[in-house]
Amino acid sequence: MNEINSKNIRLWSMLGTSGVFGVAAIDLVESDNDIIVMTSDLTYFSGLERFLKLYPTKYLNVGIAEQNMVGVAAGLSSEHFKPYLTSYSTFITARCTDQIRVNMGYMKQNIKLVGLGGGLAVGILGPTHMGVEDISIVRSIPNIIILSPADGLETYKCLMESRKINLPMYIRLTGQQNNPIVYNEDYDFEIGKNITLLDGNDIVIYSTGTMVSRALEVAKKMAQENISVKVIDVHTIKPIEIASIVENKNYKLIVSIEEHSVIGGLGSAISDILSQYTSHGKLLKLGFDDRFIHAGSYHHLLEEYGLDIKNIEYNIMKNYRESN
Amino acid sequence: MKKPLNEKLFYENSRIMRIDCLKMGVKAGLSGAHYGGSFSVIEIMNYLYNHGTNINEDNIAKQCKDRVILSKGHGAMALYAAYKQIGILSDDDLLTFKLDKTNLYAHPSMNKELGIDFSSGSLGQGLSLGVGVAISLLRKEMPEVKVYVILGDGECNEGQIWEAAMLASQLKLNNLIVIVDYNHIQYDDFTANIINLEPFEKRWESFGWNAKRIDGHDFHEINAAFSLKSVKPYVIIADTIKGKGISFMENNHFWHHGILNKEQEIEAYNELGKKYE
Amino acid sequence: MEKNKDKYVSVFRKSFSLDENFDVEALSYQDIPSWDSVGHMSMIADLEEAFDIMLETEDIIDFGSFKKGIEILRKYNVEIE
Repeated sequence: MNEINSKNIRLWSMLGTSGVFGVAAIDLVESDNDIIVMTSDLTYFSGLERFLKLYPTKYLNVGIAEQNMVGVAAGLSSEHFKPYLTSYSTFITARCTDQIRVNMGYMKQNIKLVGLGGGLAVGILGPTHMGVEDISIVRSIPNIIILSPADGLETYKCLMESRKINLPMYIRLTGQQNNPIVYNEDYDFEIGKNITLLDGNDIVIYSTGTMVSRALEVAKKMAQENISVKVIDVHTIKPIEIASIVENKNYKLIVSIEEHSVIGGLGSAISDILSQYTSHGKLLKLGFDDRFIHAGSYHHLLEEYGLDIKNIEYNIMKNYRESN
Repeated sequence: MKKPLNEKLFYENSRIMRIDCLKMGVKAGLSGAHYGGSFSVIEIMNYLYNHGTNINEDNIAKQCKDRVILSKGHGAMALYAAYKQIGILSDDDLLTFKLDKTNLYAHPSMNKELGIDFSSGSLGQGLSLGVGVAISLLRKEMPEVKVYVILGDGECNEGQIWEAAMLASQLKLNNLIVIVDYNHIQYDDFTANIINLEPFEKRWESFGWNAKRIDGHDFHEINAAFSLKSVKPYVIIADTIKGKGISFMENNHFWHHGILNKEQEIEAYNELGKKYE
Repeated sequence: MEKNKDKYVSVFRKSFSLDENFDVEALSYQDIPSWDSVGHMSMIADLEEAFDIMLETEDIIDFGSFKKGIEILRKYNVEIE
């Protein structure tokens, strides 16, 4: 098992979340004999090169056939194996939605989906490869836990925790190599419990995945203008921690930031809860608005969708001033 | 204990199974039933549960039992009738078919105690499940436990079937046997008019399978097909008649799913009663 | 005080699990199974900790061998001798 220390935290940041999956996959099969890792012809992209060399018998490549991959995983799971499936976030959700629905949602088979390149990380390949609405697809299906880790260490922790729960799960990985570090040292992690990274009274930001580090940066900038911002890491999008949303519902401005569509993801999950109350603050949802954009580098795309630091700060400030 | 392998008894059991399906369908009332595709697969289900597998009421929830996956889930009535054959369900159980509170749904719902390993109904998915189970059994070093997947012909339009077929062949899953209930009719029309599957055996063979074409209602042909040993994944393509056993249903695509009126109900019972020799 | 050269060699030995007899000075990326893409990053992280530096991405990519590494570390004011 890998130790959680400063060297590994740095390593995992350098590797990016796909690389962390490759490292964690080795630890997973070493800790549980029933775990099998499956891919639809994306071994090398998934950081599984070393895994394949070490544990070829714990690995199953089904070829470019995502629907079949989920079905085969269900067959394995019904015979008490524990399959972890991986592909691009958009393919592993959109291409096999019915299979996810029937096998994971309806039959609750113990299948873990690991979606790589969530958001815009592989946006250089164009919208066909971007993870735009993957969370909303899975979120609308009952019984599937959805995790969205903030950085390399949280990715490792999500994967290690996942093996303790024999329930279907979707773990969505975002960011590229040199992923910003949010957690500099080990910390308590519990599926379903948000983590408040920064306290503040004026604005509350719910963030997930790579947007957590962005939210922290923006909060620090706003602190210089004497606006105190609470930043929360929502690593579990489903089941979302309702109590946390309710506790903070009266902030004048509630912000959600995700590298995902504003339809159906974290922002919508928060909105679903807030809308049950007659009084709550304004919710500003930052994410991808309802359009596709052309291929480009990661940072260019983030800017196009308004998810770079400058635009995030601008939008939050604008709405904060309006709500005051 | 398995029933003796005897042609006369086999056909008598088929007759009983058809009567049981009729009873279930009638009980479902105005919500109707999938008569066509249940009747066409009766002989196959009869053979599987009475002779071809080791499944019995004692091992139904155990690891050592052969696995059967009814991928064409709309043939559920045939499954429940087969269950009654081996003593897992009673006449009273069958009469709960499609009630609001029941274990016997229109499409089988996963129920480990009843030995229903998977829910089915969304066509095209069962072969993947079978591949996963077959892989698992080989990993667990249980090659003597076989996996049977029953597909519909229209179901073979689904691409996922062929994804699974390719993988099965790639992994040399010789513990996997598919039976296609080839009744030549899908929901809208004859299969030949929607997606012509011929040459069907060649398609499977080109995917690396052994294929055997049989009359899916003939005891001897079924028995011979199931007795074959194969080193590759194996498909039995069973030519059948949709709605077999009820003359006004046979080969009639309107009876993929239908509701019997009183007259038809009486005629159906008479026909099944009359076929006894 | 440990010489930089010894520290450097020791990082290689530890990162790639190589014993005293192994000639690390001739090593290049992918020469051995443990110096794969993950091993590479791990070695870089060990190096950064050992010398209290942080390498730039381009240098991480260029760091293709023990010898090349010596050249690269000079940019970070680390002389390997």
